[in-house]
Amino acid sequence: MNGWMGKIVKLDLGTGARETVEVGDALRRRYLGGRGLGVRLYCDLFPRPVDPFADENALIFMTGPLTGTLMTSGRYQIVSRSPLTGTICDSSSGGAFGAAFKAAGLDGLIVTGRAPAPVYLAVRDGAIEIRDAAGLWGLDTQRTQKAIQADLGAKASVASIGPAGENRVLFAAVMNDKDRAAGRGGMGAIMGAKNLKAIAAAGSAPVAIADPAGYKDLSSRLDRMVDKNPVTGKSLQVLGTSVLVNIINAHGMFPTENFRRGVFNDAEGTSGEKIAESILQRQSACYKCPIGCGRTTKTKDRSGEGPEYETVWAFGAHLGVSDLTAITEANYACNELGLDTITMGSTIGCGMELCEVGAWDGGLRWGDAGKLRDLVTETAYKRGIGADLALGSKRLAAKHGRPELAMQVKGLEIPAYDPRGAQGMALSFATSNRGGCHMRAYLIAPEILGHPVFLDRFTTAGKAELVALFQDVSAVVDSSVLCRFLQFAVGISTFAEMLRTVTGLDFGDEELMTTGRRIYTLERLFNNRAGFGRGDDSLPPRFSTEEFQTGSSRHRRVRLDGMLDEYYSVRGWDGEGRPLPRTLAELGL
Amino acid sequence: MIDLDRETLVKMIDHTELNAHSGEKKIANLCSEARAFGFFAVCINGGYTRYAGELLAGSGVVVCTVVGFPLGSGTGAAKAFEAAEAVRNGAGEIDMVINVGALRDKRHDYVRDDIRAVVEASGPALVKVILETCYLTDEEIVAGCKLSVEAGARFVKTSTGFGPFGAFPEHVRLMRQTVGPDIGVKASGGIKNFKDAWRLIRAGASRLGLSASVGVVEGLSLYKFAPAAWLEEEIPCHFCPARFANLDKQPKAVYAYYKKKCLSCPHLETYNRYYE
Repeated sequence: MNGWMGKIVKLDLGTGARETVEVGDALRRRYLGGRGLGVRLYCDLFPRPVDPFADENALIFMTGPLTGTLMTSGRYQIVSRSPLTGTICDSSSGGAFGAAFKAAGLDGLIVTGRAPAPVYLAVRDGAIEIRDAAGLWGLDTQRTQKAIQADLGAKASVASIGPAGENRVLFAAVMNDKDRAAGRGGMGAIMGAKNLKAIAAAGSAPVAIADPAGYKDLSSRLDRMVDKNPVTGKSLQVLGTSVLVNIINAHGMFPTENFRRGVFNDAEGTSGEKIAESILQRQSACYKCPIGCGRTTKTKDRSGEGPEYETVWAFGAHLGVSDLTAITEANYACNELGLDTITMGSTIGCGMELCEVGAWDGGLRWGDAGKLRDLVTETAYKRGIGADLALGSKRLAAKHGRPELAMQVKGLEIPAYDPRGAQGMALSFATSNRGGCHMRAYLIAPEILGHPVFLDRFTTAGKAELVALFQDVSAVVDSSVLCRFLQFAVGISTFAEMLRTVTGLDFGDEELMTTGRRIYTLERLFNNRAGFGRGDDSLPPRFSTEEFQTGSSRHRRVRLDGMLDEYYSVRGWDGEGRPLPRTLAELGL
Repeated sequence: MIDLDRETLVKMIDHTELNAHSGEKKIANLCSEARAFGFFAVCINGGYTRYAGELLAGSGVVVCTVVGFPLGSGTGAAKAFEAAEAVRNGAGEIDMVINVGALRDKRHDYVRDDIRAVVEASGPALVKVILETCYLTDEEIVAGCKLSVEAGARFVKTSTGFGPFGAFPEHVRLMRQTVGPDIGVKASGGIKNFKDAWRLIRAGASRLGLSASVGVVEGLSLYKFAPAAWLEEEIPCHFCPARFANLDKQPKAVYAYYKKKCLSCPHLETYNRYYE
């Protein structure tokens, strides 16, 4: 078999029983791998949603047909039902773990059950060994990874949780290859609930390539395409993702103090440019990645990776903090303890506003940089006010009687783009299947960065169609599995060529777009069954009732309703956001 | 609707690499892409004509070499020598730069002779004349087009890509109106995505000079999945040369010409309303 390894294993941690899951050629072609095949397998296992922390729930680690092959193919996806949102969730991470996992002989691993005591899994040469992790429980992610590598060898790639996952913090991350994070949606908390501390992968099984000569030619063309694109060839390489700080701030949509303003006066001090001239040690890159958007940094006392744009924002402008060292060290703490930086920072911001309006006596105030690292630690261990912050912003704001102050969609915190500054991005946030996520349809690309074309960011016309298109392409990339930054340089036709070259199957762009639509609709079906509908495809009221008075997004509000109707129509869903029978028939669902 | 398929689009593209710092590796990549996508031509500097010709042998992709590039202010004889050598080395098309200063001085006979020298030296190779529209008024663009046709050129072309701005639909439209349907119009410079390309094709361009060729073709493949979004109403000022006029980089008179034109433009009110 070309592309895929042809092996997915289901492992019950409670009994140790394992079985090979048969996935036919047709299913692989229709869902590819990664997010798509993971969601398909999850939905087959659970036609009715189960409690994410239930023993029987499954946590699915997936690679894709392109994992371990062409550029940016070191990634992997984790699929389950999110304990933070209750939606279907896939969380993606870079580094090299995906490639190592596949080289160990597997396409995917479905973990069910709960181990009676802490364990970790060693995946080597197609075999899975359950190993005692009692000595690892309580360690942070960095020490865990080092300890496992001491056991299995330095070549083992390790994905692990930290104390936050062990304590089932609802937005606990899975960290791999030191500082790479499957951050969003709380997949780390599910690992914790299963007493699964880590998965280590090592192996040397090659991925069979259908067309080796074409592969070589394509690799060189991809290099050139990435190099020529201004985003992948320049901005991300030189300044990292934080290149966006000044750009988004200049567009008046850099969320400041829990989205109450769109311009942060101290943005420059937390920008990619500032990082480059202060804390940056070197650029870092994932497996086979020519972009290298990662930043290895050093403060006076610590070193690590980050901060990336979303983290700079979450611990910076969002909290009124301009101290780059404090932001960076809060980032390091999240990496070590295993927490999603976006939800962490956003929840603190929500808490700050709750305190300001007198709804909570948590003792938080805007701009208090000195407290950040302690807040992260308290959250990971659910100590002090950390017990409240560990709930995430939606539950925190509801608990204190002001649900409207949580800047979230479906329970997942909205990241660093104020939707009043980009109507398409607003629709993207509202309709994202995993909640307030910028990665499902990155409309910032056309609305702010001019890729693939500049579109008027304040108009709603045509945005529904574009959001659906971007969501579908993203589903294909997540299922292939590749880095989403590649989308700046590569279009759907080239993704089809990549799949053809590696698998030997005659993928075309039309088929892939249908695949993307099928995956997105399947996720929607799951969410419908979990109780989500039109009312959940919404944004916090702040975005439709309050306007900025300054900045270039001033006097703007989100106009969602019209776009939502159009979006449902484009998708072939009814007025409540349920896929119509004819749509399901078209997609073979 | 955009009634343009991929096969038609790739045959309109001169896949371009003209940077001073580009070496053989970049030219090899350019040729590899041109083969893979089936572009009409590669557009390169003269030093790489023979090399590109060898790489593209049997592919059907034409080698197009620039002459008098990028300033155009050398002698006609020097340009003619350069063109003849390019053709000897395998160039099937020549993109020459007009003498912009002479055109602005209204030395029309000199300009016509300059072009004719290159056309004659190029023999069977087709000649395109780069007007460098960023330095010209509408009247000068019209004159440049007429002189090019009179001198035997088969194409007029907007830009080198090295000036303060590149191709704009307004200029392409004017060039097409001037040369008629039988002479080619090549738009080049600043074409970054399919929508840029589409605007220029709609304005009358029959060839495109692009370094972002691959992205443009990829863009067409995206278009068909979301046509409404791509065809949203646009404010013409966002791609009007007057909006990009730059006193630091253009002749004073040209800058003033564009600013004056802007003030009397019917789209100005729309533009101001948008930014209110």
